[in-house]
Amino acid sequence: MDVTEPHDLVDKVMAELPEWLPAQRWFGGKDRPVTSIRPLRAVVLRSEEPVLVHLVVEVAQPDRQEPYQLLITDHVDNYDATQVPELTGALLDLIAEGAEVDGLRFAHEPDVELQTGLRGRPITSEQSNTSIVFGSQYILKLFRKLTYGDNPDLVLHRALRQVGCEHIAQPLGSITGRLDGHTTTVGMLQQFMPDAVDGWAMATTSVRDLMAEADLHADEVGGDFAGEAQRLGQAVASVHADLERALGTQSANAENIERTVRAMVSRLDAVVASVPELRPYVPALREAFEQAKETPDAVAVQHIHGDLHLGQVLRTVQGWLLIDFEGEPGSPIAERVELRSPLRDVAGMLRSFDYAAHQLLVGQPEDHQLTVRALEWSRRNRAAFTEGYAEAASESVGDPRKRGYLLRAFELDKAVYEVAYEHANRPEWLTVPLSSIARITGEGAVQS
Amino acid sequence: MQEEARPDAALVGLENVPHTGEAIGADGLLVEPQAEDFRSAKLVPRERDWFKGAVFYEVLVRAFSDSNGDGTGDLRGLASRLDYLEWLGVDCLWLPPFYASPLRDGGYDISDFRAVLPEFGSVEDFVYLLDEAHRRGIRVITDLVLNHTSDAHPWFQQSRIDPDGPYGDYYVWSDDDQRYADARIIFVDTESSNWTYDPVRGQFYWHRFFSHQPDLNFENPHVQEAMLDTLRFWLDLGIDGFRLDAVPYLFEAEGTNCENLPRTHDFLKRCRKVVDDEYPGRVLLAEANQWPSDVVEYFGNAEVGGDECHMAFHFPLMPRIFMAVRRESRFPISEILAQTPQIPDGCQWGIFLRNHDELTLEMVTDEERDYMYAEYAKDPRMKANIGIRRRLAPLLENDRNQQELFTAMLLSLPGSPVLYYGDEIGMGDKIGMGDNIWLGDRDAVRTPMQWTPDRNAGFSSCDPGRIYLPVIMDPVYGYQALNVEAQLNNQSSLLHWTRRMIEVRKQHHAFAEGDFTDLGGSNPSVLAYRRRWLRPDGHEDVVLCVNNLSRFPQPVELDLSEHHSSRPVELTGGVVFPTVGDLPYLLTLPGHGFYWFQLVEAGDDSEPR
Repeated sequence: MDVTEPHDLVDKVMAELPEWLPAQRWFGGKDRPVTSIRPLRAVVLRSEEPVLVHLVVEVAQPDRQEPYQLLITDHVDNYDATQVPELTGALLDLIAEGAEVDGLRFAHEPDVELQTGLRGRPITSEQSNTSIVFGSQYILKLFRKLTYGDNPDLVLHRALRQVGCEHIAQPLGSITGRLDGHTTTVGMLQQFMPDAVDGWAMATTSVRDLMAEADLHADEVGGDFAGEAQRLGQAVASVHADLERALGTQSANAENIERTVRAMVSRLDAVVASVPELRPYVPALREAFEQAKETPDAVAVQHIHGDLHLGQVLRTVQGWLLIDFEGEPGSPIAERVELRSPLRDVAGMLRSFDYAAHQLLVGQPEDHQLTVRALEWSRRNRAAFTEGYAEAASESVGDPRKRGYLLRAFELDKAVYEVAYEHANRPEWLTVPLSSIARITGEGAVQS
Repeated sequence: MQEEARPDAALVGLENVPHTGEAIGADGLLVEPQAEDFRSAKLVPRERDWFKGAVFYEVLVRAFSDSNGDGTGDLRGLASRLDYLEWLGVDCLWLPPFYASPLRDGGYDISDFRAVLPEFGSVEDFVYLLDEAHRRGIRVITDLVLNHTSDAHPWFQQSRIDPDGPYGDYYVWSDDDQRYADARIIFVDTESSNWTYDPVRGQFYWHRFFSHQPDLNFENPHVQEAMLDTLRFWLDLGIDGFRLDAVPYLFEAEGTNCENLPRTHDFLKRCRKVVDDEYPGRVLLAEANQWPSDVVEYFGNAEVGGDECHMAFHFPLMPRIFMAVRRESRFPISEILAQTPQIPDGCQWGIFLRNHDELTLEMVTDEERDYMYAEYAKDPRMKANIGIRRRLAPLLENDRNQQELFTAMLLSLPGSPVLYYGDEIGMGDKIGMGDNIWLGDRDAVRTPMQWTPDRNAGFSSCDPGRIYLPVIMDPVYGYQALNVEAQLNNQSSLLHWTRRMIEVRKQHHAFAEGDFTDLGGSNPSVLAYRRRWLRPDGHEDVVLCVNNLSRFPQPVELDLSEHHSSRPVELTGGVVFPTVGDLPYLLTLPGHGFYWFQLVEAGDDSEPR
């Protein structure tokens, strides 16, 4: 290739983007056609060969326009500089220097000293963003679809670092740009955990062990996960307590709760319209949502994780960490930064245990024995998680089991969301949230 | 009165051999055997750091081989089996105590530090064993209990009858039983106090262990000298070192728990100085059944490379290995290794899967005990792995793959491996049905070594009724099927496999002294680590060990970016695996499978070795 001038490179990339962009895993607009793409801003980070350009483009699609971040180079055929170790190392060096290039600001967090000169290695497993690992020390997350303003992931990580939270990967630096007049987070550098395993892999290892035993129960097998689940519950509660300490807590009033319930009901109405399998549970679901209003006393709301599940927690040799405080990527930013009950996170994790327990059964012929085992595992680990959470919960949040109605409503709401998701994407999995809804509505809430 | 009571009256069976207290000198001191009275063994050529790479083999004299047909193993019998141990690749034998003893605590109740238990032989037999072992390059260490003696020891007998004599202050005497109230009682099942009243002397004596094992009074400089002379006695005869038993308890101080006191460390430094100055190349191994971060204290000052014990056992690793395989998760092992502090340059851990005695839960921290109980709580098969005495094979349900996986980890994790006799052939144990596995049966793992399918498993020519413990005779572990002879004749036996792995281990010094890096990885069931050693020629010896802790086949992707372009060479077969490239290195392992690789750098055309 003989492209040398950065602006030639930008032109060339712009010409190919309509083809290239929809093929990227992290592209969030695959559901509709791309109408047009225009460059918003290009910053040349390196003008000699190989060229490195930071490019923000606006992708227009029917009913939406969204900015995306690209790092491009002439060094590789597909222009994607995040895959080129020689180039990504420069990003780390810029953060360490605290450099500012043409409005793009690279900064390390206060009191952080970074080792430079490390090669960057892209992580292949990521869905909606692109992460690069430097040596075994750092990980840089480049947000692909940009949201104006400070990214909640960075905001919450900073707040947690300030109060000395032990259950996060420490934030070490950031990259921010100006976008439409807003200071916007485009990247976050964190401590990398080379020894970490995500909670989903840990949990499914345990389920696999149980399913392979013909005669032993969930509390008897060697692969029992309850100890881990309990420590995980403690970690989540302690992160909530730290968020409360750093950013405060409020008391939700009746109107807030009313609005929350209304949102649940309207989601239910929307989903049942397209998923007839949900219909038989509608009355019970409505009743469960209504009961959420019957809370004995004030409900605390605060900053929470917002999209907590087993894939968002890491087991390290020091214990459990929570990652990705971005909130549900699908929901609007206003909703993501809203103060919400920590019980939403608890509910998200409880749903995740249910998924982990049943994932091996999906697409398999009905097997009563294995179904019973899965249920056993789910009950045992959900209970252990909740127990651990209660042990470490802050005073304002308290024992989740004492708010059984609210917790149940959050969990059912999440399950209704899953029904919609599975119906659209993985029809075989639809039985997982549906059978949970059947069970939870049939059993009533945990009240103690 | 002194004339009437012979100080050696409580010693049994030593009438015809030199022993302590045969006579009393004019100064009131007991006559004790001296090293010059015996022949000394020829030493193995001196090598300062031999213990850092050595494969240790714990063998019970009683259980290994009986040379005189009396039904009990002895030193001459053990000596007759040294060819086998040399063939296996053993570098050092660890013998639990073989001293004169009433045997009320498995020989740890020593009644004469300078005599051998008669049924095991004599001091001369021990020197013969040393000579035969050294001739084969095998070293020998033994246990020495510094803290206490048997109450049958002539020192104690003198101490109780003659408070004003030279031994009057050899033990910790008191008019009441109220001192040192903060010291815990170790054997809560049998002892109600650390003090016991002696009607002869009319005072209480202090004992941290059983009441028949009075603690020596290390405040008394004569006691310190006497114990240093005990070390010298055996070192002069040619022994290669000691495992110092119950070291945390030597000194007492009011208001403390009387464990790990600074003066205890001071005395260990004195012991070390004797070794360094007078017997370089010999080792001291601390028995301190404690958390690694506490045990490191017993290595001494790191700035000088350690100035107390050369080695200490890493106790919590063993139950963690069992837990990790049951959990199919590497975290129990990764965690404990991450919590293990660096040790001084001149030191090494000893690691083991099984030994004659196990980790007891009261010896670990509260936090760890809670963790262990929480983790082991409901699973009877996991409970059976800690705090009780069982052999490796039955613990692993005689699963050959797991035995190999466990042994491969023992031979590759940081520390010098200690094998327990018989585990190399997968011997079974004697756990009776309905026994309380928690209390356990100390003898369960002390049955005779199974040599042949012949009478008494080839252990002894005696009448089977006279044997000290019956040989194992069940259909799976019985000696007719499971014995050294049969496994020697079968190239695919566990014995041949174990020997081969020891051989491979010795070809790579990285296993011995290489630094350790846990490689993590996205699969929680795979434990992968790197051992890296800078060879004197400037080349690096890098070994990669990958262990599948799960019974199911597993893939793992390892970050080997530091070894880009290296070739992994499998160590047992020499097969060259694909070169490390830009992507994470993908390996697949069968259930409970493992790999050992050498990572050969690109451009290093030297033969992989």
